[in-house]
Formats: sequence, structure tokens, C-alpha cells
Amino acid sequence: MKSKFEKREEAILGSIDGIQPAEVPPYFYTRLLVRMQNELEVRKPTFILLRPAFLTASLSIILAVNIAFLFQFNNQQKLPAPQSNNKATIESFADAYNLNTSSVYE
Amino acid sequence: MSEQELVAQLRYGDEEAFKKLVTLFQQKVFNTALNFLQNQHDAEDIAQEVFIQVYHSIRQFKENASLSTWIYRITISKCLDHVRNKKRKKRFAFISGLFSEKNSLLHDAPDFEHPGVQLDRKEDAAILFKLVDTLPESQKTAFLLNKIEALSYNEIAAIMNISESAVDSLLQRAKQNLRKKINSTNGKVLSKNNV
Repeated sequence: MKSKFEKREEAILGSIDGIQPAEVPPYFYTRLLVRMQNELEVRKPTFILLRPAFLTASLSIILAVNIAFLFQFNNQQKLPAPQSNNKATIESFADAYNLNTSSVYE
Repeated sequence: MSEQELVAQLRYGDEEAFKKLVTLFQQKVFNTALNFLQNQHDAEDIAQEVFIQVYHSIRQFKENASLSTWIYRITISKCLDHVRNKKRKKRFAFISGLFSEKNSLLHDAPDFEHPGVQLDRKEDAAILFKLVDTLPESQKTAFLLNKIEALSYNEIAAIMNISESAVDSLLQRAKQNLRKKINSTNGKVLSKNNV
């Protein structure tokens, strides 16, 4: 003889025997078409320059180039300026072409 | 119209063929989604998504499986994704609830009452649906397809892409697990019944 627990177990397991399919909500097809139409409108191709992906990519590139230039500029400023060399070059240039004289009659 | 003709017309983007497809499969898709998700609104939402995917990817349908098997596969995959997302959100809500200042309580969804269950069995069916929801995904899929959709082992094997013996094994384990879960909650169930 089955115990109370066993009977309960059978009742629960058998509760979905002969279950009837649920009715599909009314206007299912109409709602489906409306949703498809909405999704198509969202997917409509936009001008490439206005697409968020393009805009984000362009802004990222511009930002990266700016940062790179900023770093390069900072590094150049930190280097000692080769003034002595330049001076020597200018003096030797002036000597070579006799530009150190103050008067053309000398 | 044969299945091949229907598929051919769908590939041409024929709206009448699409309407016919929806009429043919809406009940299967909606009911499968309803059994998995245990919520009418979510089931309708997923059923719509299934037909949208069918419409967009009918060209990728290889006719080595039947159209019905293919649509069942899409439905189950979408349902399982939906359930996983819901669980993830629930976990996240629980964790964020621990750190938030508001002591908002997390409420479980109310018991699901399938509209196709006989009135005198509704309470037991609600318990069973709750327990089925705790089964591993493969066991839940096999159990729901066999017990509610009344599909044969052969059809379930084709949908789940496994052998018939694997389907049988999944069903046996699902039943064993359900019995264990019923026994472990039997005290509660019985007392509820006696009140």
C-alpha cells in the first residue's frame, strides 16, 4: 500500500499529464509584424559619417594623435638645447665669408 | 503546400509564406517558450524573436533537419539564453542590493499557473513547474519536450542533437531528481495540503 508521501509524489508528477496547450495571445501575428517593422526602421542605413562607430573611431584617432604629439613635444623640451654647436656653426660661417667686419672698407 | 515549397517561398521573402509559417508554428513556439520561461509576457516576447530570427536566417536553414526541428532548436536556445540572463540579473541585483543603502527586498516570481492544467491539479502543477525550473538545462529540456510537448525520443534527439539513448538517460535522471526534490520538500507540501 502506498504511503501518504508516495501518493503525493505521484500526484505532483502526474499533475501535468494530459495538459492542454495554452492559447497563443490574440493578435500575435499583427504584433509580430509591428515589431519587425520597428526593427527594420531602426536598422535603416544612416550616412556613414554620422554613424556612432565612425564618429567614435575618428575621435579616438584624433585624440591618439594629439596625445602622441604632446608627448613628443614634452620630450623635445626636456632635451638640452644644442646652442653651443649652433653658435660655433654661425661663427665659423661668419669667419668663412668674412662677415665679422663692421665696415665694408676694412 | 509542402515544407520544401514553404521554405523556398520564405527564401524569396514571400509575406504570405511567412504568415503561413507563423500560423503553423505559433502554438508550438509559444507553448515551448511558456513552459521554459513560466511567464506569458516573456513567452510572447521570445516567440516573436524566434519568428524574426527564422525570417532573417531562413537562407541558412539546411534541409537535413525538418523545419519543425530547426524552429524548436531556435526556440530552446533563445529560452535558455533568456533564463541565463534573468539569473545573471537576479544575482547582480542581489549583490548590488547588499551594497545599496535601500534595504529593498528581492521577491521571487509568483508560482506559475499553466492555463492548460486541469483546475483540480493546478496546485500540484505549480509545485512541479517550480521544481522543473531547478533541473539542469538538458534534463529540463528533455522533460518539457517529452512530458508537455509530447514529442517522441526520436524528435527530442534530433532537436537536442544527441542520441535517443541519451534522451532516455536524461529523462530518467530528470524524474529521479524530481522525486528527490519532492521528497525533500514533502513535509512542506503535505502540511500545505492539509491546511
